[in-house]
Amino acid sequence: MISLTHFLLVSALLFSTGLYAVLAKKNAILVLVGIELMINAAVLNLVAFGRYDGGLYGGQTFALFAIVLAAAAVAVALAIILNVYKHYKSINPDDINDLKD
Amino acid sequence: MDQLSQISTPVLAALIVLCAPLISFGLSAIAGKRLRSGIPATVAIAISLLAAIFIFATVWNGQQVHQQTSWFRIGEHSFKAGILLNNLSALLLLLVCAIALPVHVYSMVYMKGDYGIHRYWLYLSLFCFAMLGLVMADSLLLMYIGWELVGFASYLLIGFWFTRPAAIKANKKAFLINRIGDLGFLIGIAIIYTQFQTLDLVALFGDHGMVREAFNDGVEWRYAQHAMPAFWLTIAGAAFFLGAMAKSAQFPFHIWLPDAMEGPTSVSSLIHAATMVAAGVFMLVRISPLFDAQILLLIGAIGAFTALMAATIALTQQDIKKILAFSTISQLGFMMVAIGIGQYGVAIFHLVTHAFFKCLLFLSAGAVIHEMQHVKETLKLELDPQDIRNMGGLRRYMPHTFRLTLVAALALAGLPLTAGYLSKDAILIFAFEWAEWQSAWWKFIPVSLLVTSALTAFYIARLVFKVFYGKPRISAIGQGTNYLHEAPRGMLLPMLFLGLCSLFPLFSYNPLLFEDTWIIKGFELPETLERVNIYHTVVPAAVNGLAIVMIFIAWRWYAQGKYPQGSLRGRLYEFSAAQWYLNVMYEKGIVKPLLKVSKMLYAFDRTIVDGLVDTGAGTVRWFANTAQWLDRALVDGLVNGVGKAAVFAGGVLRGSRKGKIQYYLFSMFLVLLIVLFVGLKIFSP
Repeated sequence: MISLTHFLLVSALLFSTGLYAVLAKKNAILVLVGIELMINAAVLNLVAFGRYDGGLYGGQTFALFAIVLAAAAVAVALAIILNVYKHYKSINPDDINDLKD
Repeated sequence: MDQLSQISTPVLAALIVLCAPLISFGLSAIAGKRLRSGIPATVAIAISLLAAIFIFATVWNGQQVHQQTSWFRIGEHSFKAGILLNNLSALLLLLVCAIALPVHVYSMVYMKGDYGIHRYWLYLSLFCFAMLGLVMADSLLLMYIGWELVGFASYLLIGFWFTRPAAIKANKKAFLINRIGDLGFLIGIAIIYTQFQTLDLVALFGDHGMVREAFNDGVEWRYAQHAMPAFWLTIAGAAFFLGAMAKSAQFPFHIWLPDAMEGPTSVSSLIHAATMVAAGVFMLVRISPLFDAQILLLIGAIGAFTALMAATIALTQQDIKKILAFSTISQLGFMMVAIGIGQYGVAIFHLVTHAFFKCLLFLSAGAVIHEMQHVKETLKLELDPQDIRNMGGLRRYMPHTFRLTLVAALALAGLPLTAGYLSKDAILIFAFEWAEWQSAWWKFIPVSLLVTSALTAFYIARLVFKVFYGKPRISAIGQGTNYLHEAPRGMLLPMLFLGLCSLFPLFSYNPLLFEDTWIIKGFELPETLERVNIYHTVVPAAVNGLAIVMIFIAWRWYAQGKYPQGSLRGRLYEFSAAQWYLNVMYEKGIVKPLLKVSKMLYAFDRTIVDGLVDTGAGTVRWFANTAQWLDRALVDGLVNGVGKAAVFAGGVLRGSRKGKIQYYLFSMFLVLLIVLFVGLKIFSP
């Protein structure tokens, strides 16, 4: 039987993978993928802890909201990346360094 | 987890069968481009084959093996995962491995030197793993997972040469059409779960399973306390059949299969023989107790129609792989008819025999295409290596390939001494006997099957004669120099194995009578039809008589070159060559209207939604301008002083950050970690 710890372990793994992708990837789409992984780690935690919610299904409902929001966020983020690409002709985060001044 | 220690030997073997391709898949995934050799994948599938043989020897006609472990819980409902081995799954496991191994060996030669070969082995292992998982799954949910994985792996393999636009179009088409089928499967699962509260195959479809025990009086479908209107039973059957229609390429969802020929030929042989299209038939047999009379009639009718339609299309195709693809669709139609008339054992029997000879036909086609490609490259010709109009007379250059193709072609045409004869006759005879009990109208099913089998003999004879007989159609080949060679041994040996499996001794000691076949005996007959003796002599005679006449006509036309010029190029020819215009109809009837609707929605979005937003934005902008003036005049003066100080501090602290956003993120993450750490130190009790 799979216990709560297993879920948390998988979730932590997912989160770290996502964080690594966000910090280290040189392609904005992969950074976005990393963000999605982190969101999914959070969703997994919600569902896993939702088990202790009795019959209320609060965790699962919340997870559903999070998934929908994540989908919306992806759409927006992809649009942003498209525009960034149009402007800079690159989606490498290192090339987009206008924040420096 | 403690159940793991009590695993029985067949289940352990099943786990080995399942895990060997998975391990090979993982190996290829980790090694990436460094692993270009196909040896790990081939060894893995060989191990699977050995374990599958062991399972088959233990389980066939013996006790059914079923073991499961608890998987997860949702609220009150717990789900279990496990392995179910009975006659059906043991046979299919053996078949999948026995087809996959020759294809792997063949691919080692066929795909040699391909740029992306490391991906090839990766996908191939995944494909085998998915199919094996689907076969041994003991619950509908696990089966669905395997089902989806098979679809996904085939998507990857069809688009293997992803730089060709045609391949990308083909794999997208295959995937989308399979999604329609998946939807059907999912709806079916949902209905079953609502009614029976379980997805366990044994509990649902076993001998005293819930589906058989459930009570249906035509108004209400009742099991225990739970009841729903009876038409849901029909809908559930139709939904599962929808899944099988898409996976097993039945009309009107067959259009993905001919396009799937864009993948490597060895992959086509695997898809067509054992892994992809077989899944639909297998699934229908697995859940067979569910079907009521209407659905069975529907399955039979669609199967018969598909068989006839695909055979008429195959008559006029010029691409060697397209002919074989439509032939597969047609033969799958035969299997569907067998299911429709309730002869599940016969359907599986035809699935097995068809797997061997169709795989062989594809591998031979691959060998021929390989050589044509070679000729094209050495002579620098502009020709399509798959077009049978460019071939001819290959018998002299590739005698072994020719002989093996001939065996497979005879099996497909259903001539005696081959395995195809046994299974095709079984389906035809049962279909005629079944029609005795139906209203006269349903006679069209066996009759159309008879016509189809005559057409089958014609188109496969046309293929063999056009490719291997006559004179070479490219003048350069005929002129002395030997450009064409026999296929290398690494390709011929797997083909030889398949060729031997396409003959009758593997299935029955009696080459003329299908009733002695051990595969059919291994399945219970749901309702034994009354044996009508006359059919058992007349039908084989009719099939073979027609086949021989058709082969003779094909020989006159294509081998001897006495083609009746002009007289055959009518409307019907165009209709068949254009594949019944179905692709055009889908394009005009579904794709175009969808695009139109999308465009209208886009226009709506642009003019109305955007217009509203723009007006809102204008108002806000006016407010903002006012606010900006206030801001400039009053607040900025104060803030600028602070800002300048911050700029100075920032300039000092900036160091090497240089606007790279990921460095900022990383520093933020570090600070967060430090704060967390310190916080825990201070506040922890």
